Amino acid sequence: MTTRRELLALTASALALGVTASAVRAEGKVKMGFIYPSPVGYVGWAHELDGGRKKIVEKFGGKVEAITAENIPEGPDAARTMNQMIADGAKLLMIGSFGYMNDGLKLAKQYPDVAIINASGYKLAGNFGNFQTRNYETSYVAGLAAGYVTKSNILGVVAAYPIPEVIGIINTFTLGAQKTNPNITVKVVWLNSWFDPNKSQEAARSLVAAKADVLFSLYQDTPEVVALAEELGVYSISTSSDMKKYAAKKYLMGMGIDWGPHFIDVAGQVLAGSFKGSSYWGGMKEGAVHVASLTPDLTPDQKKVTDDAVAAMTAGTFHPMTGPVVDQDGNEKLAAGVTIADGDMASINWLVKGVETRIPQ
Amino acid sequence: MIDTLVFVIGGMLAAATSILFASLGETVSERAGVLNLSVEGMMATGAAAAFGIATLSGSHLLGFIGGGLAAGLLSLVFAALVLVFYANQVAAGLAVGILGLGISAFIGKPFEGTTIDKIPKLDLPVISDIPLVGPILFNHDVMVYLAFAMIFVIGYVLKRTQLGRNLRAVGENPQAAAANGIPVRLVRCCAIAFGGFMAGIGGAYLSIAYTALWAEGLISGRGWIAVALVVFGSWLPHRVAFGAYLFGGISLLELSLQSNGVKLPSQLLSASPYLATILLLAFISRDQYRLRLSRPMALGQTYRNET
Repeated sequence: MTTRRELLALTASALALGVTASAVRAEGKVKMGFIYPSPVGYVGWAHELDGGRKKIVEKFGGKVEAITAENIPEGPDAARTMNQMIADGAKLLMIGSFGYMNDGLKLAKQYPDVAIINASGYKLAGNFGNFQTRNYETSYVAGLAAGYVTKSNILGVVAAYPIPEVIGIINTFTLGAQKTNPNITVKVVWLNSWFDPNKSQEAARSLVAAKADVLFSLYQDTPEVVALAEELGVYSISTSSDMKKYAAKKYLMGMGIDWGPHFIDVAGQVLAGSFKGSSYWGGMKEGAVHVASLTPDLTPDQKKVTDDAVAAMTAGTFHPMTGPVVDQDGNEKLAAGVTIADGDMASINWLVKGVETRIPQ
Repeated sequence: MIDTLVFVIGGMLAAATSILFASLGETVSERAGVLNLSVEGMMATGAAAAFGIATLSGSHLLGFIGGGLAAGLLSLVFAALVLVFYANQVAAGLAVGILGLGISAFIGKPFEGTTIDKIPKLDLPVISDIPLVGPILFNHDVMVYLAFAMIFVIGYVLKRTQLGRNLRAVGENPQAAAANGIPVRLVRCCAIAFGGFMAGIGGAYLSIAYTALWAEGLISGRGWIAVALVVFGSWLPHRVAFGAYLFGGISLLELSLQSNGVKLPSQLLSASPYLATILLLAFISRDQYRLRLSRPMALGQTYRNET
């Protein structure tokens, strides 16, 4: 049994350790912690976030030391990991999941000298920022290309849950496809599960059985849908990572993400001591999203249409959600020439006409 | 329409195969009186080991054998806990299951998110080309047929052979079995190892044949379904198998309804395989008297030689 004296001794030695640790820190590099909700692997969400970390290390080299933790479940485990990293002296935390938001914000208030940035969240504080990408821009281009290559005029989407970001992506994908092929129908299978590769592959098969000849793997962190599409001889599109290596012949395009510019920006602020929490929503303009490995199957004229769309979005002269846009029930949501506001896009909860599947209520 | 029919009915056989292997193995274990709740972890270990071995060696056969052996070894840890150290079966099963998930993440780390070629599908000259019947019944990989055959092999061994009678005796009344000279702990150990091997094959089927991918969390609950099916299938191999095929079929039907634009809430559809399987098997197994005949009476009880 531990006596009070022993406890005191333990506490004292722990304190002493803490002191020496921070003394060592003072002369060393600035620590930056990165927490990912899934394994880094070769493709997918966490892999791209980790790509951003690598860019920081490349840029600042000797000045920073990156510590990472992958596959951390949202909740107590995440909070503990964040605490640990701060205790280890991290001055910047990148917390890579929406579900880390509240724990991160709590810590941000507790440790005002630590900068925290949160993927896909919306809360803000002086030392707590959030970041996401305008994936709806690249999905619009994917739609343009899908409208050209489809023979059956049916496009299939495998999606996890109907959150606003996913709905926004499906909407611009559909609008893009309608632009190049007015007769298009978009079918969605909601998996109601964030991670189940077996089920997402079954969902992809069911869409092909329902005559879809382009499959959109929407936030599936693993390449099974893309690999299956290749096996079945249909086109595929993937989010987050370029998955061309899993579908050499029939890969339509990847909705590439590059966190480098934003992460370098934030790390620079942290090093300079000038970090202030802000909302970053990077699109083509900021170099945060890009079209990756576009299929060579488009004709030069078709390729020009996709290139022009990319150029217009990069220049900021075109927004894919520009009226007239009608929802599934035929109500006019955006009048001709009206562009959706950022706030409305971020909280969008209706699908455009042309999407066959309803949003689960 | 025909494509959808082939997708649901033909796909059902393959969709159920991994769960079928695991639940048949668990049936044998439970008929010997051992409740092994580590199926999920054993499947994960088998899946990761099979994927690693198949990737490195290029042989699916080696992958299946390695996956089965890896999970079999893990089940021996469980066997040691419950048969040598007399640990509580439920607690030991849960602990070994968590251990298995950890081991799978460890083994699978270098392969995270990679894919592998699937095993070739049977392509018989004439039969596989018969419309409807061909693609539904005769266009699968060999493991689908092996799993189907195992239903009858295990059913026969349990019911008609001395080995099966000994095993059931151990599960019904280990004291009486021991008095008759049956080595209770040896029989239980073999049943556990067999269950582990089958769970490993089931996991391997997902990682190197069905989805042909390794990612941590690949099993996502199928091991628990396998355990539940054994109980709802009242410990009879053919009923357990019926449950597995039913579950597989309704899972695919649900996706098919969604992709064909049927306007039902997708959450309800996602829950439908679970609901339908439980309801149907509960209905089939409603006869309490007959249920008592197949339920191993000593299930979950610790057996000590001296008692």
